[in-house]
Amino acid sequence: MIDMAMHMMDIVQNSIRGEAKEIGIYFFEDSRHNKLTFRVEDDGRGMDEPTLKKLTDPFFTTRTSRRVGLGIPFLKMTCEQAGGSLSLFSEEGVGTTVEAFYRTDNPDCLPLGDVAGYAALLLKANWELHIRFSYRTEDEHFVVDSDELKEEGIDLRYPEMLTALKEFIQENLNEIYRKRPPESLLC
Amino acid sequence: MHTMNGIKTLADLKRKQEEVKSRIDLRNRAENPDSLVQVKVAMATCGIASGAKEVMEYFVEELDKRRIDAVVTQTGCMGYCFAEPTVEITLPGKEPMVFGYVNARKADEIIERYIKEGELVDGIIPRNYNTI
Repeated sequence: MIDMAMHMMDIVQNSIRGEAKEIGIYFFEDSRHNKLTFRVEDDGRGMDEPTLKKLTDPFFTTRTSRRVGLGIPFLKMTCEQAGGSLSLFSEEGVGTTVEAFYRTDNPDCLPLGDVAGYAALLLKANWELHIRFSYRTEDEHFVVDSDELKEEGIDLRYPEMLTALKEFIQENLNEIYRKRPPESLLC
Repeated sequence: MHTMNGIKTLADLKRKQEEVKSRIDLRNRAENPDSLVQVKVAMATCGIASGAKEVMEYFVEELDKRRIDAVVTQTGCMGYCFAEPTVEITLPGKEPMVFGYVNARKADEIIERYIKEGELVDGIIPRNYNTI
């Protein structure tokens, strides 16, 4: 994983496999304190405490198609290598929350990557789910919510709407990125 | 990011939706999903790390441009991590076929030769292949 957007796609896939119907993706950028929090919350199956403990073990997976599970271990690695940390919360029958905390002033902090492109694809490919994407800074907040889009008559089953949605998200994120303090290293 | 007609607000997005809707009718598809080409891009850790996003965007955009009625979606790891990005394609009335090492060039070949003509192309992963 070379950027946070890839992690986002990856971690949300876990929620989808965990039969989530509602998934929240949250970025919180606190540029004054050089912090960035990336969180995925879902209402999926959840897991018990012993399973949760095994989650960061690369040789643990519930899959039968292969014997390794690297999504969470990679996320743990990329935030810890940049002085951050990973927190996992889960409750059986309630859902799971994965929260990665990054130090954006650390030279090993990952770039954000194509967050807009991945978010648009996630919404399109899982149009039957309720997915909420949020990017917040101290002063700004941008949200795309699949249920709200549907209420507005947006239908991502039309292929052209993928590009349109990506552009919509990108334009709004650019607006937020432009207001970053010049000393911020996040890109 | 380049902006052609500029989609910045929800109103812009709605305008685009209206414009697209006036040109294309999706109703027929819902009634008869088996008549569509189904494209599933493997989007697990292995796929993402190998460029599955670009492959998926390519299929969505190109199938639309080439006027092929298809549903492009994502799936988990099919066990062929060594051959990512992998794509499973189901033509109407046919068995699903998995292609490995797909990039834009390969995707173009898959569309032109397999999806349009039904010809087999290099890169098919046999179903009895052992997973790692």
